[in-house]
This record gives sequence, structure tokens and C-alpha cells, in this order.
Amino acid sequence: MSTSLETRPVTATPGATTALAPPRRKRRILLRLVALVVLYALWEITARTMNNPTFIPSPGAVWHQLIVTSSVHDGVRGYSGHLLIEHLGVSLRRILIGSVIGVVGGLVLGLVMGTVTWIRVVTEPVVTFIRALPPLAYFSLFIIWFGIDETPKLWLLSIAALPPVAVATASAVLGAPTGLVEASRALGANKWQAVRDVVLPHALPEIFTGVRIAVGVAYSSVVAAETINGVPGIGGMVRDAQRYSQTDVVVLGLFAIGLSGLLIDALLQVAEKRLIPWRGRA
Amino acid sequence: MPSDSEADAVVLDAVTHTYGDVTAVGPVSLNVPAGEFLVLVGASGCGKSTLLRLIAGFEQPTAGSVLAAGVRPVPGRGAGLVFQQPRLFPWRTVGGNVALALRYAGQPYGRERVEGLLARVGLHDVAHRRTWQISGGQQQRVAIARALAVDNPLLLLDEPFAALDALTRERLQEDLRRVSAETGRTCVFVTHSVDEAVFLGSRVVVLTPRPGRVALDLPIELPRTGIDPDELRGLPAFAAARAQVGAAVRHPEGVLA
Ligand SMILES: Nc1ncnc2c1ncn2[C@@H]1O[C@H](COP(=O)(O)OP(=O)(O)OP(=O)(O)O)[C@@H](O)[C@H]1O
Ligand SMILES: [Mg+2]
Repeated sequence: MSTSLETRPVTATPGATTALAPPRRKRRILLRLVALVVLYALWEITARTMNNPTFIPSPGAVWHQLIVTSSVHDGVRGYSGHLLIEHLGVSLRRILIGSVIGVVGGLVLGLVMGTVTWIRVVTEPVVTFIRALPPLAYFSLFIIWFGIDETPKLWLLSIAALPPVAVATASAVLGAPTGLVEASRALGANKWQAVRDVVLPHALPEIFTGVRIAVGVAYSSVVAAETINGVPGIGGMVRDAQRYSQTDVVVLGLFAIGLSGLLIDALLQVAEKRLIPWRGRA
Repeated sequence: MPSDSEADAVVLDAVTHTYGDVTAVGPVSLNVPAGEFLVLVGASGCGKSTLLRLIAGFEQPTAGSVLAAGVRPVPGRGAGLVFQQPRLFPWRTVGGNVALALRYAGQPYGRERVEGLLARVGLHDVAHRRTWQISGGQQQRVAIARALAVDNPLLLLDEPFAALDALTRERLQEDLRRVSAETGRTCVFVTHSVDEAVFLGSRVVVLTPRPGRVALDLPIELPRTGIDPDELRGLPAFAAARAQVGAAVRHPEGVLA
């Protein structure tokens, strides 16, 4: 998941985007605003000319659903008994738990893979294999194993988030700079200290990229996971709305997922800049 | 082991080192008594860095043997090393780099201690900076401070002053000469500069072009303490030694033959 189509090179200096000359930055923001307005207008026009709200709901209808699903009306609470924000909250909680487990597991696995050759040889094909599978493919297996409640969903997200972090960590650890490792050894570091003080910090930028990818994968998997017994949850909400042809709610759900995804990636990027000021310097 | 080499901080016995099929250095035999300040001089690529890496334990000799303090050298044990490149850790501040060395040595690594070490190499107010925010010469000085953090009996320095301006270089040379004389630490110092070699060394060894062998092994009989640096440079013995080393650097094969 990335907030923009332009992929930032890993070697970009920290604060490269903020360091843009103010006029250029202003122009970029302006351009984005204009694009948004144009898209909005296109949507409005298409919805009106098609005049088929089940196919393309109007922006107004989606907006209306935002208000309806965010309030208690006629004794009904939001959608399917939960407010929109609650659906989103449950999904985000699943993403958080799944990502944390997956990231921690990926980190440990990646570290071991990067340092112990035979483990790398054994696990690399497995990790690559899992990485190539669409998460939905192994979801059925988890349902057979763990039922239809929280457990299989969290397993799915964890397993989906693990490979990107493991692969990034392993490759970064493998690429540890000999010169700096030697420098630490010359200062008296033992093997473990060299890993902690050189290999890991050097790997952090790459690991962080892996984490961002992992969170993105978890994000895109959660909707799939919530198609089964997913209420409350944004995916469950979208699934139900699709069943009853409430296209406006479906679109609203898409917006909720997409916008919160943007927000989380932006937060991760800010965290990255603060935690890894040496990105591109090692 | 022969008893006379027990006092030797470093013993190189017919050491040869090859990278693949390139013989970088050797055979070289050298005994470095404890407390000696040995300076290695030689053309670029003659294997000076390789020799230091052998003594530090980062390379194993292809033939012959290397002993430091009587045992096979292990990196980080008993020898401080300043590499040819600063090799600072960019994820740590300047002060953090020095603190890490103190930590590895199990010493207190508080602010005062770190700033004191930095001040010893002429650096002030840089402890909080990022490593890429200081100049190349300053980076090299941080690397020296890092190596000085631990009181190793042996100090290995690979062209540590090459990236410095003349003034700082002279100051650090004087500082290093004084410190080594006072502490009696053994130093092996690599340089290209004949002047630096004669000024610093209690013994200067000139190497031949690759593969490096000993072309000249010259004890420098100049007072190590109680003399002003300018006065030292003015001594006739200083000029004589410089001429001898200079000739060997220019015509190493001639000396060898
Ligand atoms: N890791 C390596 N692999 C292969 N060859 C190497 C390696 N390191 C050094 N060499 C070669 O060994 C020879 C000696 O290298 P070394 O770095 O010891 O020279 P040096 O005397 O320190 O040179 P300089 O004064 O330029 O630093 C050179 O010819 C170099 O090309
Ligand atoms: Mg060298």
C-alpha cells in the first residue's frame, strides 16, 4: 500500500518530500485538489446520466448513507446493528493484531533466515510459496481448522503479513555492510552485539518498507476475511450491503477502507522518518 | 616460544597474504617490541592495510604466522584499530559512536566521558550531531576517538590523518606522539608521508611495491619526550632520517637489492 503512485526510492534522503521548494509543493497540492474535484464531478455526472443507483450510486446517496450508518435511527443502530465507526474499528483492530503478530514473526524469521544459512535454505521456498498465494486461498483451510470466529481471521492476517517482513529482513541482514560490522568487532563487540548495534539498525529502513507492505497486505486481506461471519467489520458490512444491493453502502465501505488505509500509511511514513533519520546514509 | 619475543607486542613470522591469486604482501618478518611506535610506509597497494588487518585478526595469513601479545590475534581483543575509512555508524550520533565503544569495553559511557574523548581529538560541540553532518576529517577524528576509548595495549592506525588539514594533522601528530610516549602503548601506524613517519615513529619500516616486503627497517633515534615538536623537526638527525626514508620510498627495490 502506498499513498501515491510515485514510488519513493529507498535511498531518498529523509524529509525529501517536505524539502520540496514551497512553490512546487503548493502546485502539487493544488493539482491534487483539482484532480479530486474533477473526479467528483465525473462521478456526479455519470450517476445522474445513468440514473441507476444500484449500478452507480450518486455521491449524495453515499453521503446520506454515511449519516445513516453513523447514527441510531428508528431504533436501528447504524448498519446491521453497528455504527460505521464500529465496523471500521473492529476491522482496524483485526488489522492491528494480525499485522503485529505477522511483523514480529517476520522479523524473527527474517533475522534467523539472514544469519543461519541452513534455515534460510529450508525456509526460503516456503516463505516465497506462501507469499505467492492469495490470502483467500488459505483462508478456507483456517476456517476448517479454527471455525468462523476471530481466530481464523487473525491467522489469515498474520500469515499474510509475515512473508514481506521476513523477506525484507532476511535480505537486509544478508546485505549487512562488512566494513561497519568489522568496525564494531574492532571495538570489541561480540557477535550478538554486532547484530544488535550494526546489522539490525542497518536493516531497519528495509524492514520498515517490509512492514508497510505487510500492513498493506493485511489491509487488503481483512475485507476478504470478513466475507465470512464478518459483522461487525467493514468487510462484513460491504458483504451484507452487496447481498441487499445497497450499492451506496458498498461504496461507503470502500471509502472507509481506502481513506483509513491512506491515513495509516501516512502515519507509518511519519514514524519511519522519525525512527530512521539515517535512511539513505548507510 | 623464544623468550625474547615474549616482550614483543607483535610478531610477524614470514607472513604472506594473498587475495585469490594476488599476493598482496609478504613474506614479511617483523618483531615489534612492546612500547614501540612502528610506522609502515610504502606505495599505494603495497599491502599496508592488509598487514594491519592481519595484525588485527581480520585476515588470516596465507603463509607464516602472526602473533599479538603472544597469541593469534582476535578482532576487538587487545588492539584498537582505526581503519582507513572512518566507518562510523550512521544510526548513532557522533557521541553515540564513541559511547558504544566505551560500552563494549564495559566502561561508563556518560556524556562527560564521551565529550572528553572527543575533545582529545580536537572536537567540540559535535556529540549531538549526525555522522553525515560533520566533515570527512572530523569523521576520521571521531573514529580515532572511538579507538582511543579503550585502553588497549596495542593501537593500529591506517592512515588516520590523511583526510585532515595540515594544521589539525600536526596537532594530532604531536598529540599522538606525546600520548604514545606517555602511555607506552605499542603503535603500528600506516602512512604515505615520509615526514609523518619520521616524526611519529620510533622505528620506520618502508615496504616494497606489491607484494610488500621490508625494504628498509630504520630505528629513529630521536628523543620521544621533553622536546618541542618544532625543535625536533629542526634536529639534524630528523633531516637525516627523513632523507634515508625518502630515498627508500623512492627506490625501494634498490635498498632491497
Ligand atoms: N579484499 C580484497 N580482495 C582482493 N584484493 C585485495 C583486497 N584487499 C586488497 N587487495 C589487493 O591487495 C593489495 C594490497 O592492498 P592494501 O589495501 O593492503 O594496500 P595499501 O598498501 O593499504 O594501499 P593504500 O596505500 O592505497 O591504502 C592491493 O593490490 C589490492 O588491490
Ligand atoms: Mg591502505
